Amino acid sequence: MKYESQSVAKLYFIAAIGLFVGQIVFGLVMGLQYVMGDFMFPEIPFNVARMVHTNLLIVWLLFGFMGAAYYLIPEEAETELHSPMLAKLMFWVFLVAGALTILGYLLVPYSTLAEMTGNSLLPTMGREFLEQPTITKIGIVIVALSFLYNVGFTVLKGRKTVITLVLLIGLAGLAIFFLFSFYNPDNLVKDKYYWWFVVHLWVEGVWELIMASILAFVLIKTTGVDREIIEKWLYIIIAMALITGLIGTGHHFFWIGAPEYWLWWGSIFSALEPIPFFMMTVFAFNMVNKRRINHPNQPAVLWALGTAVMAFLGAGVWGFMHTLAPVNYYTHGTQITAAHGHMAFYGAYVMIVLAIISYAMPLLRGRKACNSAASQVAEMWSFWLMTISMVFITLFLTGAGILQVYLQRFSDEPMSFMVVQDKIELFYWMREGAGVVFLIGLLLYVYSFFIGGEERTVEEKV
Amino acid sequence: MSEVFTKSMARNIFYGGSVFFFLLLLALTFQTHEAWPERDNHENLTDTVRHGKELWEVNNCVGCHSLLGEGAYFAPELGNVYQRYGNSTDAIKAFIMSRPKEGIPGRRSMPQFNFDDEELEAIAQFLKYASGINTNDWPPNIQG
Amino acid sequence: MYIQETIKTKYPPGDLALWIFICAELLVFGVFFAAYAFARANNIELFNQYQATLNTDLALINTIALLTSSYFVVSAIIAIKENQQQKSSRFLLLAILGGITFLIFKMTEYSHHMSEGINLTTNLFYMFYLSLTFFHFMHVILGIMILLVLWINTRKGTYTTEEHNGLVSGGAYWHMVDMVWLILFPLIYIMR
Repeated sequence: MKYESQSVAKLYFIAAIGLFVGQIVFGLVMGLQYVMGDFMFPEIPFNVARMVHTNLLIVWLLFGFMGAAYYLIPEEAETELHSPMLAKLMFWVFLVAGALTILGYLLVPYSTLAEMTGNSLLPTMGREFLEQPTITKIGIVIVALSFLYNVGFTVLKGRKTVITLVLLIGLAGLAIFFLFSFYNPDNLVKDKYYWWFVVHLWVEGVWELIMASILAFVLIKTTGVDREIIEKWLYIIIAMALITGLIGTGHHFFWIGAPEYWLWWGSIFSALEPIPFFMMTVFAFNMVNKRRINHPNQPAVLWALGTAVMAFLGAGVWGFMHTLAPVNYYTHGTQITAAHGHMAFYGAYVMIVLAIISYAMPLLRGRKACNSAASQVAEMWSFWLMTISMVFITLFLTGAGILQVYLQRFSDEPMSFMVVQDKIELFYWMREGAGVVFLIGLLLYVYSFFIGGEERTVEEKV
Repeated sequence: MSEVFTKSMARNIFYGGSVFFFLLLLALTFQTHEAWPERDNHENLTDTVRHGKELWEVNNCVGCHSLLGEGAYFAPELGNVYQRYGNSTDAIKAFIMSRPKEGIPGRRSMPQFNFDDEELEAIAQFLKYASGINTNDWPPNIQG
Repeated sequence: MYIQETIKTKYPPGDLALWIFICAELLVFGVFFAAYAFARANNIELFNQYQATLNTDLALINTIALLTSSYFVVSAIIAIKENQQQKSSRFLLLAILGGITFLIFKMTEYSHHMSEGINLTTNLFYMFYLSLTFFHFMHVILGIMILLVLWINTRKGTYTTEEHNGLVSGGAYWHMVDMVWLILFPLIYIMR
């Protein structure tokens, strides 16, 4: 750690990991509800568990992104953070607001929560992933603006690098596109259309900028490759991400009442969306092969390579699989979408946050470069446990999805939804099993932070 | 040897490409707005339907169901439930009313929301309105 | 050793990043063309019927305008190699004029379609016609802006006989725009 104020990142990272555990626990609850329909009913119905699962994911990733920014921006800008106090204050604001929202989901019926928070004044609740009460949404905007102000001024007074610039553009885009969550027209078609301006332009747009810049930072630090080369790659990757991703939004407009030409525009551009992810994989492996140093923090390098590969598989390959309109006509809104969503989020965003945590946390805890060998071994085990179980979750959901598509939509005598769900129960059981392994991997990950011992020596030249 | 692969060129591609395609997205969005009146069933967007949409939202129906394929995949698609229930809003209302309070042992069950008549009508009308949107022939069949 | 190095820097001409970009562009157009071919194969009658409503004469003039313009860009690069910057900038200006001619005629065509109330939702043929040509139209505008920068730079004397990488790169982009039209023109206007 080169600058005192970087230490605020530690708070954010700890919160992120804590919420991650919560997310997975509720994921397992949902997984069980898929096969034991009355599990926890009516105390925690499926929709509540799902809200907690997805909202916790979004919140902890945001914590991760903010922590990453607070860590790497002072180091890149070569100056102390503009206001560490504000960063700490906003951390608690965000954490308390998040916790209250989750408690609200769990303790009172959703409609009561809507009433308590005055949703009728500015109705924004009840839409997928944007279930937060309006007041929480306003809180998120305030936190995001203070955060942008804080890191923005840090960059302004210090060195401006491509990494900080790209990260800032990504984070600013995140805040700007979130504003669409306040637009909830009565017209269902418009509601759905602009809903994607938050969801798609986040995860297939500006978040990719955030991911690529964090990846570039970790690679510079762990491979010692010349900054010029890495920055050039960074620009090309994010250029491709936005060039394909912006019009690629159209693959969500096929069946929601938007005009027919989106079938073509959306198919064509989203078919190209794997390109930036493929380039990211080539980039990561290329840089590690060209490394000038052998960094002693092996898990950080592993996470960095892992995120590049898994993002390509999850977002690129699994996305491409059902993005063309004639295919999507049958797969839209089935377990295929769920399969893609799980691996894409894990590969692209969970793993990049874990990569920066893995790199930064030892330094934040006052170590020279990395954790002890024993801790690193445990962390790498957790990497493989989580990653492989996620691969299996994806495969099982894909299997369930293919069967669902066939039985419910493609065969000569289509069956009803619930009948089909019963028939594919086995896949849901196997998914739940893989989910348990994932939780074990995650607990091992958490445990690895508490393994002490002699830390490894500092980096050596290749 | 002069550098062939310059960083400034990569940067220009990023800025130029992003602005270009963002403008293209806006242009297509504008065109989409022009096309909507013929497709979005807005003529049936009554106050009852508006109320139905609000109820749909504040009860988080999308947390289990999908609507036009978007939402959760835990419970049936509702974009065409009006047709599936024989073009009958009464059948939709009867189903919602009939849900047991304590669920069904071992199985998935929709909660009992205790809606009054007016609310039931609003939700049913909202689903009827949604079923009238031109979705390019999606879903493939009545099962959703 | 030395000779090998110089040969290496000469090919491909211009900036490597630009070539990556051009390849990406061609890929996008390529996928679009493939989609067009697919859609046309399934709706041949519709496509033939509405293809007849297009103004082939204007499109032919536009083809000539772009080709001539590309020729002027080549001339401008040759002039720079002979260290004639005045001449080079004049050729670039002519190339820009060629591009603007294209835009004017294309806009005439568009206004004709607009007056008939044709838009993306009219039918599948017009969807492709408008999408492809408009996408290309935007590239012509971008290409003209690049040519303008090259023109200003040439007038300022930025490029020399030894160092004119920027000019070659920008020229290559303009040729790409031209080439895409050379595919678009027969594909949309002529092929039956």
